[in-house]
Amino acid sequence: MTKIKNEKTIFFVLPAIILYSSFMIGPLIAMFYISTLKWTYIIAPPSFLGLDNYRNMFESDAFWTALKNTILLVATLLPVMIPLAFMIGYYLSLKPRGHRILRILMFTPGLISMSATAMVFFAVLTPPGLLNGTLNNLGFSNENTAWLGSTRTALTSIWFINLWQGVGYTAVLMTARLESIPREIFEAARLDGASNWNRMWRISWPIILDYIGTVTMLQFLWTIFGGAGLIILLTGGGPGYATTTLGVLVYGKAFSENQLGYSQAAGVILFIFGLLGMILIRRFIRAKE
Amino acid sequence: MVSGRKSTGEGIALVPAHFLVWTYAALLGIPIYFVFASAFKDNIAIFDTPLALPTSFSFNNFVEAWNTVKLGRGLINSLIVTTMSEIVTIALALPAAYGIARSKGKIGAIVERFFALGFLIPAFAAMVPTLLLSIKLNMYHTLPFFSLFLSATTLPLSVILLAQFMRTIPTELEESAMLDGATRWQTLRFIYLPLTRAGIVLVVILNFLTYWNEYLFSLVLLGYDTSTRTVQVALPVLITNSTQYGVLLAGTLISLIPVYIVYIFFHRKIEGALLAGSIKV
Repeated sequence: MTKIKNEKTIFFVLPAIILYSSFMIGPLIAMFYISTLKWTYIIAPPSFLGLDNYRNMFESDAFWTALKNTILLVATLLPVMIPLAFMIGYYLSLKPRGHRILRILMFTPGLISMSATAMVFFAVLTPPGLLNGTLNNLGFSNENTAWLGSTRTALTSIWFINLWQGVGYTAVLMTARLESIPREIFEAARLDGASNWNRMWRISWPIILDYIGTVTMLQFLWTIFGGAGLIILLTGGGPGYATTTLGVLVYGKAFSENQLGYSQAAGVILFIFGLLGMILIRRFIRAKE
Repeated sequence: MVSGRKSTGEGIALVPAHFLVWTYAALLGIPIYFVFASAFKDNIAIFDTPLALPTSFSFNNFVEAWNTVKLGRGLINSLIVTTMSEIVTIALALPAAYGIARSKGKIGAIVERFFALGFLIPAFAAMVPTLLLSIKLNMYHTLPFFSLFLSATTLPLSVILLAQFMRTIPTELEESAMLDGATRWQTLRFIYLPLTRAGIVLVVILNFLTYWNEYLFSLVLLGYDTSTRTVQVALPVLITNSTQYGVLLAGTLISLIPVYIVYIFFHRKIEGALLAGSIKV
C-alpha cells in the first residue's frame, strides 16, 4: 500500500536521471570516442583516426612529464597530509583550550574558492610578495626568488598550497568523526594506562580507518582533478612543463594547443589513473584492517 | 590522586602537540591576515612591511577592483547561476529521492546505485564533451546551460542524502493521507517536503559552496566576456603585467563576501553539511 509501484518510481526519478545522464554519463562516453578522432579545434571538422592520438601522446615528453608530476604530487602529498590531519583532528577532539577558534581557522581554506586561494598565494609567492618580504625583514637580504616561476621551486610551491588547503579541512572532518566514538572506549583505555599517543594510534586510528580511507580518496580525487584549476591559475603548468599534471595537460591541449583528440586521450588516461588510484587506496586500507 | 597525577603527565605530553597545532594555525592565519592588511596598502608597503598594519584605511583598492574588472556584474552572474542551480537541483532531487526511498522491489536500489556511480565520475575529465554539448544545444556561453551542468554534477549526492532523510519518515503518515485520498504528489508536497526541511537545508548549503566557488567549468562554459563571466573568473583578470597586489587582494575579499555571510549564519550547519557530504562518497 505505502510502496510506490515500479512504473511510478520511474516517473519520480526520471527527470533527475535524464539530466544526470546527459551531463555526466554522456560526456564521459564521448570523451572515449573523441580520443580516437583527428580533431584540432572546436569548430574544425573531425575525422576518424584510431589510436594515433594515443601513440602521439605516448611519444611526447609532455605526457610523461605530466604523468611523473601527477604521481609525484599525490604520492608525496597524501602520506603527509592524511596522518597530519588525523593528528590535528585527534587533538581537536580532546577539546583543548582554544579549540573553537582553531576549528574555525582550520575550516577556512575549505570555504574559500579556488580562484580566491590562487590569488592569495599569487600575492604570497610573487617576487615582491609576503614570503620574500618577510625573508628580507628577517635578514635574508635581496631575496627575490620567483617561487612559482622557477623550475626548482614551482612544483614544491604547488605542493605546499595543496597541503595548506587540505590539512585543516580534513582535520575538522576527522574531529567530527572521532567525536562520534563512544567516550567509554577512551575512558577504559585511559584507566588501563594507555597514553594519549597510544590512544590516538592504537585505538582511534583503527576505529575510524574506514573513514580515513574515504577522506584519502576524496583528497586524491581533489588533487588530480580539482587541483588542476589551481595550477592553471598560478603557473599555467609552467615554467616549461614543471607543474603540468595530467589534468593540466587535458586542459592545455584542448584550449591552448588546439589538439582535442590528444587532450581527450590524456583525459582517458587520467580517468583510468583515478580509478586505479582509488582501488589502490581501498586495497591499502583493507590490508591495514 | 592517581588520576590527578596522570592528567598532569598528559598535560606535559601534550606540549609538543599544542606547539605543532598552533604553528599550523599560524600558517593558516598569516596569509588570511596578510590579505586583509594588504587590501589597504600599495605595492611598496606590501613588500617592505608585509605584516604591518596598514597606515590608512582608504577603500580605494576596493573601488578600483570593483571598477576594473566589473566585479558587480560578476557577483550578479554568480548569484543568478547559484540560484538557478539550487532550484533545478531541489526540484529534480526531491521527487527522485522520494521515488528511491519509497519504492517497492529492486528498482529503487538500482536507481540509487546508478546515482552513486556519479561519485566515481570526475566531471573534470569530460570537460571538452560538455563544451561541445553546449555548442550543439546552441547554449554556448549561457548561464542556463552552466546551471544545468552544475545541477547535474551535484544531483548524485543531493538525491542520496535526501533519500536518507526520507527513509526516516514513518510510512504511517503517508498511509493515512493516502486513505484520505491524497495523491503521490500531494503526499510529497504536504508530508515529505516539510518533514525533510533539515535535509533540504543541508543539501542547499552544501551545493551553495560548490556552485558559488566553481572556477574551471565557469571559465570554459561562460568565458571571459563581462556579460556572462562569474566573479570567480573576473577575479584573476586583476593579474596583469603590473599587478596592483592591494587591488587584487581587495577584489579577493569582495568575492568572498557571500561566503562569509552564509558562514556567519550557518557555520554549524556548514560543518555538518560538509561532513555528511564526505561520508557518502
